[in-house]
Amino acid sequence: MRTPAPGTSIERKGRQAIVHVRGDVVVGTARKLHSTLRALQRRRELKQVVVDLEQAGRIDSAGVAVVQLAKRNLARSGRQLELAGLDDKHRAAFDLAPEYVKPKRESRPETFLERVGGLVIGLGVSMRELGSLVLETLRQSLNVITRRAKLPAGSIGSHIISMGADAVFIVGLLSFLLGMTTAFQGIVQLQKFGAGVFAGDMVGMSMVREFGPMMTAIVLTGRTGAAIAAELGTMRVGSEIDALTAMGVSPVRFLVVPRMAALTFIEPALTLMSMFIGIAGGMLVAALVLDMGPATFWARVVGRVGLWDFVHGIGKSFVFAWIIGLAGTHLGLRASGDASSVGTATTRAVVVSIFFIIVVDAVFATIVTLS
Amino acid sequence: MTPILTACDVSIGYDRPVLEHVSFEVQRGEIVTLLGGSGSGKSTMLRVLAGLLPPLSGEVCLFGESLYELPPEARAQLLQRIGFAFQQDALFSSMTIEDNVGLPLRELTKLPDSIVAEMVRMRLAVVGLEGLGRRMPSQLSGGQRKRAALARASILDPELIFADEPTAGLDPVVAAGIDETLVQFRDVLGMTVLVVSHELESIRATADRAVMFANKTIVATGTLDDLEQSQNKAVFQFFHARDA
Repeated sequence: MRTPAPGTSIERKGRQAIVHVRGDVVVGTARKLHSTLRALQRRRELKQVVVDLEQAGRIDSAGVAVVQLAKRNLARSGRQLELAGLDDKHRAAFDLAPEYVKPKRESRPETFLERVGGLVIGLGVSMRELGSLVLETLRQSLNVITRRAKLPAGSIGSHIISMGADAVFIVGLLSFLLGMTTAFQGIVQLQKFGAGVFAGDMVGMSMVREFGPMMTAIVLTGRTGAAIAAELGTMRVGSEIDALTAMGVSPVRFLVVPRMAALTFIEPALTLMSMFIGIAGGMLVAALVLDMGPATFWARVVGRVGLWDFVHGIGKSFVFAWIIGLAGTHLGLRASGDASSVGTATTRAVVVSIFFIIVVDAVFATIVTLS
Repeated sequence: MTPILTACDVSIGYDRPVLEHVSFEVQRGEIVTLLGGSGSGKSTMLRVLAGLLPPLSGEVCLFGESLYELPPEARAQLLQRIGFAFQQDALFSSMTIEDNVGLPLRELTKLPDSIVAEMVRMRLAVVGLEGLGRRMPSQLSGGQRKRAALARASILDPELIFADEPTAGLDPVVAAGIDETLVQFRDVLGMTVLVVSHELESIRATADRAVMFANKTIVATGTLDDLEQSQNKAVFQFFHARDA
């Protein structure tokens, strides 16, 4: 027998409404019955709704859900929904619908004070874990230096290549452009006072003390810090960190120390490169705009930038390296549970690194200025 | 009666074939288990049959249509009539269980939210997860996650469900619950179920028929009784390895 086209018709008998259902009540057609039953629920004078399924075809989970929902809504206002004309297949489908159990009340939402308290406690735990990581990294590094423990073969070299050598082009290009921009901007202002010749002093000082270390740190944060957090986070989610611990291998020695060692080497090296390439960029602009020869420009740079300025810039780069490494490893190792925690760890590693790099830079600038 | 699924002279594999020139059918309303040792190609076959990996050669017919001959849109439409429960559950870790299970309904139908919520509640109850819908996948045990994956695979009442090792690594009680759910899908919802498994207890509890792969081909097909009495060496070893 062919199943009739889906549809409903309503028959009224006093305070009772009988809904005659025709055709399949499945995912694609259940909305019709849902609309009909919703309209009947709004009729306050009705005491009982009967859903007659004698002419109904297949009923799937959507059909059952529509009827169950209407039944529950009617019951709330003391009214009834009955089923009639069911065949065996309909009965089997409705047998799958479980008794409705009122969900347990959600626990009381946190107050503002509790949320702040939770954040402070979370921050405290994170700081304690960071402190432990720093101490453990120092201890493991000491063990490696004194040859009481060893690092995975070739690990520092491979990290230096992936974190450092591969970043040479981007750091170099950005530094060159930054040196050019600084020279352009400076020359325009300095020429107003007939002081264009000081462009070399300005580019040299800004690249060595600020832009070189800062530019390199920010590029490495985006490239390397994020990669470290994502890699360690993924290892944490995949239980690889637990596997190391279970084997009796220190995850800090195996994973953190090689990365920190590589960063400690890479960051100052790239910073030094960035300083010189930035100065070269400024030199090009000075030659084009001021017609100042490279030798004159270089003499201005050397005359202004002293050894202490280099120590200042390179010293900062060591601190920046440790900030990037610790933020990446700490937040990566703290990831847990699922893929989204890896994304969160990566984002946080970048934000935290940049924040502390700027804070440390400000502290350095203040100390140097005051002294 | 036209089979719901047919593999015709199919060779499958990634770099090199793991199964060559195999043919079999699945009829509507039966539970068929694909058997075989590790690396025999049963999970790969499931992916091929579900439209996730083209065969190296041969034809897969799903609901009478040649699956890999169809244009992408038509294939996607056809695949909405199947459900797939992955071995590693493949739940979205950033969504609650309710959102995971309701995802196909929200994405593929125009049902109102109230009906979607009711259907999700019902299906979670069927798989024994009632009351756990607000939890995240990471807050569930392995067995609960597998049941949530089955709930998601079956939420659209598909005509055919693929389940890749649904009971692997689970304790016997949880495994029996999942077996019962698969049988319920067939008996109550009229679904056809194609399962990959090597858990003998589960196979005995659920399968109407089994197809066994070994040595890059089908070495036996039939009811469990047929297979258990087979004198084929690979089949005999599979069923009686622990008897010796």
